[in-house]
Amino acid sequence: MVDLLIEFLSNTGFALAGYQNIIMILVGIVLIYLGIAKKYEPFLLIPIGFGILMGNIPVIRDFGLGIYEKGSFLNYMYYGVMHDIYPPLIFLGVGALTDFSAMLARPSLMLLGAAAQIGIFATFLGALALGFAPNEAASIGIIGGADGPTAIFLTAVLAPRLIGPIAIAAYSYMALVPVIQPPIMRLLTSRKERLIRMEEPREVSKREKLIFPIVGFLLCCFIAPGALPLLGMLFFGNLLKESIVAERLARAARSSIIDTVTILLGLAVGASTQGDIFLTGKSMGIFILGASAFAVATASGVIFAKFMNLFLRQKINPLIGAAGVSAVPNSARVVQIVGQKEDPTNFLLMHAMAPNISGVIGSAIAAAILWSFLGG
Amino acid sequence: MYGLDAISAHNGWQLAALGTSIVFTGLIILSLAISQIHKVLEFWDKRHTYYQRIKKLVQRKHRSEAIVSDPVLPKNVKGSVRQFKLLVEQIGEPFPLPKLLDFSEKCGFPHSHSSVNDLLQAKLIVPDGKGYFLWNHEVEKNIKI
Repeated sequence: MVDLLIEFLSNTGFALAGYQNIIMILVGIVLIYLGIAKKYEPFLLIPIGFGILMGNIPVIRDFGLGIYEKGSFLNYMYYGVMHDIYPPLIFLGVGALTDFSAMLARPSLMLLGAAAQIGIFATFLGALALGFAPNEAASIGIIGGADGPTAIFLTAVLAPRLIGPIAIAAYSYMALVPVIQPPIMRLLTSRKERLIRMEEPREVSKREKLIFPIVGFLLCCFIAPGALPLLGMLFFGNLLKESIVAERLARAARSSIIDTVTILLGLAVGASTQGDIFLTGKSMGIFILGASAFAVATASGVIFAKFMNLFLRQKINPLIGAAGVSAVPNSARVVQIVGQKEDPTNFLLMHAMAPNISGVIGSAIAAAILWSFLGG
Repeated sequence: MYGLDAISAHNGWQLAALGTSIVFTGLIILSLAISQIHKVLEFWDKRHTYYQRIKKLVQRKHRSEAIVSDPVLPKNVKGSVRQFKLLVEQIGEPFPLPKLLDFSEKCGFPHSHSSVNDLLQAKLIVPDGKGYFLWNHEVEKNIKI
C-alpha cells in the first residue's frame, strides 16, 4: 500500500514539475489576467492562457496525455494547427464579419496596407542577421503582419517547431497594439498632421460589395496562389455576408464557427508551449524580433501615408497608416483614439478600416510569397 | 553565420525586395480593379441609353453620307438614274459592269461610260465584293430626282 502511495505521489504534477513548467504556468496566469482584468483581446488571451496551463501540467510520458503524444486529446486539437485547418476557418469568420465599404470607397488607402507589410520583410532580414534559418526567419517576420492566423498558417509549413512562441508572440502583440502603436504614431507625426480631417468617403452600392469578393479572390489568388486557403475563405465568408440570401451561413461563420475555432486554436497553441520546448533562447529572440516587427510595420504605414501626402491634393491623416498592420479592428481603434486625443470631433475609425482590411489581404499575400520562396 | 553576411548568404536582400514589390503590386492591381467596379456598374446600368445614343449616331452618319452623296451627282445624270435603274432591273442583280455599259449603249443612252462613272461615285452602283455590282436602293431614296 505504501508502495502504491509512493508511486502515485511520484506520478503527480508536484513531483514531475520542473522550473520551466512553473514559469510557463505563471505566464499563462498573466495572459488570463490581461484578458479578464485589462480586457486585452480576451477572446484570444483567455483560451491561450488556459491552454498554457493545460500544456504545462507535467504528465507521465506515453500515457497519451501530452500534446505531442499521438492520439491524445490535446494532440487532436493540435492537428488543426499543424495542418493549417484553423487559420482558414478563422478567416472565413473574419470575412463574414467584415464590411469592406471603407476600402471600396477609397481603394488608394490600400497602399497603406501594403506599406505596413514592410515590417514583415524587415524583420525577416533582422532574423536572418541574428542567425535564424531562412524558414524560421520568414515565420518570425510574419509576426509583423499582426495577424495571428496568418502567422500560424505560415509557421505550420515553414517552421512547425516554432508555432508555440510565434503564435504567443503574435497574439500577445496583437493584444498589446494599444500599448505599442501610439508612441510610434506620435513620434512620427506632427500635431498638425494628426489634426487632418479626411473627406467623407463615397457611398458604396450593394452590388459593388457583392462583386468585390469574387474580383478580389480571383486577382489575389492569381497573383499569390499560396494565399488560396486564407484569402479563399476570407472572400467566401464575405460573399456569404453580402449575398444576404445565405445569411444563415454567414451568421454561422461569424458566430459559432469562428468562436469554436478560436477556442480550439487558442487552447492548442497555448498547450503547445510546454516549458522545456518553449523556454529557449530562440523564443526570447522571437519575442524581441516580434516586437520590432510590429514597430517597423506601424512606422512603415505612417511614413508611407506622409509620403502619399506629398502627391495628394486632399491630404490624408498619416495616423491611419498605422492601421495597415492587420490587427482588425484593434489598430483602427487605436488610430481613432490617438486622433481623438488631438481633436475629439475627428472620426478616423471608418477611414482607418480601409488600410486595416487591406493589411489582412497584404499579410496573407506576404505569407504566400514567403511560402513559395522558402517552402520548397 | 550572423549579420549582413547571413543575410547575403541566404539571398535575404533579394527575397525582401521581391516580396515587398509583389505585395505592393498585388494590392495596387487590386485597388485599381476595385476602383473601376462602380464605373463598370454605372456603364451597365446605362447600357440602354448608350445603345440608343450609338444607334442614333450611326443613323445620323448614314443620313449625312446619303445627303453628301447627292451633290456629287451632276444634274444631267440625275435624269438617267431612272433609266439605269430600269436597265439594272432588266439585267438582274448582281450584274457585271461591262454588261450594264453594253446594254446602255445598245439602248442609246448618251455618254454611258461617264454616266456609269458618276453613278459609281455617287454610290448608286456599289460593288458586292465578289466582282459584281448592286443597285444601292438606300442612296437612291435620298436623291431628289
